[in-house]
Amino acid sequence: MEKRTFQDINTLIELFENSDWRELSIEVEDFSLHLSRDEGAAGPAWQPSPVARERPQDTGTEAPPTAAEGPAAEEGADSGELDGLTVVRAPNLGLFYRSPKPGAPPYVQIGEEVGEDTEVCLIEVMKLFTPVVAGVNGILRRICVEDGDLVEFDQPLFYVEPQS
Amino acid sequence: MSRLFVANRGEIAVRILSAAKSIGLETVLGASAADRNGLGAELADRVVVLGPAVPARSYLDENLTVQAAKSTGCDALHPGYGFLSERASLARLCESEGIVFVGPRAETIDALGDKLNARKLAGASDVPVLPGTPALHSVDDACADAEEIGYPVVIKASAGGGGRGMFLADCADDIRGGFTRASEEARAAFGSGLMYMERFIRNARHVEVQVFGDGNGKVVHFGERDCSVQRRYQKLIEESPCGILPEGTRLRLHEAAVKLASDLAYRNAGTVEFLYDSDTDEFYFIEVNARIQVEHPVTELVSDADLVALQLKVALGEPLGLTQSEIELQGHAIECRINAEDPDHDFRPAPGDITRWNPPNGDGIRLDTYCRAGERVSPYYDSMIGKLIIRGADRKDAIGRLDRALGVFEIGGLRTNLALQQFVVQHPDFRNNAISTRWLEQTGLPAFAERQQEPHHGAH
Repeated sequence: MEKRTFQDINTLIELFENSDWRELSIEVEDFSLHLSRDEGAAGPAWQPSPVARERPQDTGTEAPPTAAEGPAAEEGADSGELDGLTVVRAPNLGLFYRSPKPGAPPYVQIGEEVGEDTEVCLIEVMKLFTPVVAGVNGILRRICVEDGDLVEFDQPLFYVEPQS
Repeated sequence: MSRLFVANRGEIAVRILSAAKSIGLETVLGASAADRNGLGAELADRVVVLGPAVPARSYLDENLTVQAAKSTGCDALHPGYGFLSERASLARLCESEGIVFVGPRAETIDALGDKLNARKLAGASDVPVLPGTPALHSVDDACADAEEIGYPVVIKASAGGGGRGMFLADCADDIRGGFTRASEEARAAFGSGLMYMERFIRNARHVEVQVFGDGNGKVVHFGERDCSVQRRYQKLIEESPCGILPEGTRLRLHEAAVKLASDLAYRNAGTVEFLYDSDTDEFYFIEVNARIQVEHPVTELVSDADLVALQLKVALGEPLGLTQSEIELQGHAIECRINAEDPDHDFRPAPGDITRWNPPNGDGIRLDTYCRAGERVSPYYDSMIGKLIIRGADRKDAIGRLDRALGVFEIGGLRTNLALQQFVVQHPDFRNNAISTRWLEQTGLPAFAERQQEPHHGAH
């Protein structure tokens, strides 16, 4: 199969949006795409690649996915903005944590109200933990990343429905 | 299998990724947002975006870099050149996380990064150093020392490199006029304003020796490079071998470099830089660059070695199997750095979108680049967009081929220094190898500017 382009991904997203399907999963060779209408769906729109989910100590032998996957998958996530939701993005690469410390309740839950200055998660870079604020007033509608995952710069973390 | 993190961008990221692939390593590229869709990103098995385009928040952040390498399961990290490549703190951070740093030990980087200390080490290895001073404590000190050494003198930052915080003084007034500013520039750039002084050589060539060590005292060399075509201490053309060295001097130069590296139990690739005084046939130590250098390809073309692959293999634990007698140097190679900058307007950077990219190709032509038609040359980074490297049977043959290759290289969409490079390569002084490190600024550039004013060679 030819290399997937952004257009291909957009076509798939359009097809999905105009359908009455609840979920769409595609896996071709090294490429996988998961689309869902369910806000709490297990498959986040931005799919971190398998290497990202490995623990540092287990440097398994599975091949990292191709470079095409990252940007392609992200394109899918951006479509979320079409729903009128605002995306809260990672300010830099790091590890994503939903709670201020291990065992503590998460900063925010789906359905909760957030303000511009509400802290919504921590990003860790080499033991330095930096809080991220929502930057928008609204209702938290979706959490895109699992606790402890590696996130990249600009990666969508949350979707917020803005309230005036 | 090992997984390598590439902590750089541009052509050197592409170069490292290709070398890693050729020896079967998995690769992860840590990119800025500006580079997420570049050629390097396509070559890497995986790309992670560290931060935005601005280097301080991406390529220059060692914590982000090591976090990314760690979280992607990498067991080695190659820093390339520039950016974090000569930060001992990065080497230490890698080590503490169990990631192999592809380069010298942190202590070596520290010891050589302090130029005054490097001078001391060279002296201790019986490598000739220029008459000079220890740290200068005041302008008056500097003036007194200069009288003793004899003008002209060059005043340098101990923590520096690449010409920053460095100036030439012909008399005491020059020192009084320049000292404080240079020291402040050095403090801002390198965190230390400590200055020292060396005698200045009028007819100097920049000659450097490529060395490679196993970290236990075994060191081999891959011959020398002549990098005398410079502007503001930035190299523009590099070649190997250096055509003007008498054989005896060449051997002594190689021996000096190997001795110094061997005494340091130098690990991985490094370059020992010298000034060669063509009037007296003497050479003097300048500094050691503890990394792979931009101009390494000319050495590769005359030695048939893959220095970057060798870096990776040795870093990952293979013994340095090569012996000196197995390294055969043949032919002549020349590299031109192709920069997106405008030689007609004081070399101002000329970033933009490349609309046309028709490089020369053929036997003995190598192009190391991250560019292609459609590529955006970002204003955030170095203006070098590629390196054209030519191999010939001898210097004359290489110059002829280089001239032709530069003549057919078409780059559209932004200004480049291609025309200047071709002008230099065609110049009788360059052809006769009668240049010095100041030739380009004193003779080459004025001649180029004059030529540009002729009606058929106008800037527009």
